[in-house]
Amino acid sequence: MSSIPRVSSAIPGEPAHFGSVLAHQPAIAESFFALYGRFWQSEVLAARIKEVARMRNARVTECGFCRNVRFDKAVAEGLGEAVVDDITDGYETSARLSDTEKAVLKFTDALIHDPELLTGDARAALQRHLTPAQIAELGLGVTLFLALAKALITMGLEPEAMDRTVLPTPAVLEAAE
Amino acid sequence: MSAVHAALAGDPVLAAHYADFRAKAEAALDPALVALIGEAVAAVHGIEAAPDESALDEGTRTALAYARRMPFEHTAITDAEAAAVVAHLGEPGFVAFSVVTALADAECRAALVDLPGLAAG
Repeated sequence: MSSIPRVSSAIPGEPAHFGSVLAHQPAIAESFFALYGRFWQSEVLAARIKEVARMRNARVTECGFCRNVRFDKAVAEGLGEAVVDDITDGYETSARLSDTEKAVLKFTDALIHDPELLTGDARAALQRHLTPAQIAELGLGVTLFLALAKALITMGLEPEAMDRTVLPTPAVLEAAE
Repeated sequence: MSAVHAALAGDPVLAAHYADFRAKAEAALDPALVALIGEAVAAVHGIEAAPDESALDEGTRTALAYARRMPFEHTAITDAEAAAVVAHLGEPGFVAFSVVTALADAECRAALVDLPGLAAG
């Protein structure tokens, strides 16, 4: 894994980071940010649940950038650091994570790591805790989290060091609506 | 139709955004390369047969070798491997290639957990 950018910034004066590198492809960037904003602002699935899945993906894919970012909407919904600390191997025994969040984490592990983890019981638990619409949105989210983490890592955009950073939750772009 | 797009059948707005994102990423590359990336990544997951690379140029074979590392070895890809793909596709091409390849991997995984079936209830 490299922390030396493998692609230059396309924005003069800015260092290489996900946004400045994606600017090499403005149409892709515009479409992605419209999608990501729409996903995060949808109320079908709570931001806290989405963030639980995103944090698990960050740990499994070893995405340091993803691991150190928090979205403020999830923080406001009670996703504090004590809960985040439990999103590690052995989360099944956590007293801080809800049964819904544990079902979401099992699904996340199955999608990003090993589909065999989604046993009949795990599948039934997911469908008991989430509606079909929520599962669809969760599936989109985990797909995007995984793809973005891998794209970021393989383009060498991992920071050498990064403090924990709370960012505004991605929003729907006015121009995209 | 991709697994994720199929799962989003009940949310036409998100489905349209996702389809647009994939379409924009794929439009930045040669359609033949996009198809080969999808086949190569799907082969790693055991979903499809590996593409026939015998008639491909060296640059395309290098890109496909890189793509095959994305599913299970993304942290092991070296600077030299990335530089070889950048040399073949250019920086904007490499950015699109990275997105398309990572999405291809994630889409295979969504299919393997039967995301459309889960989202159908």
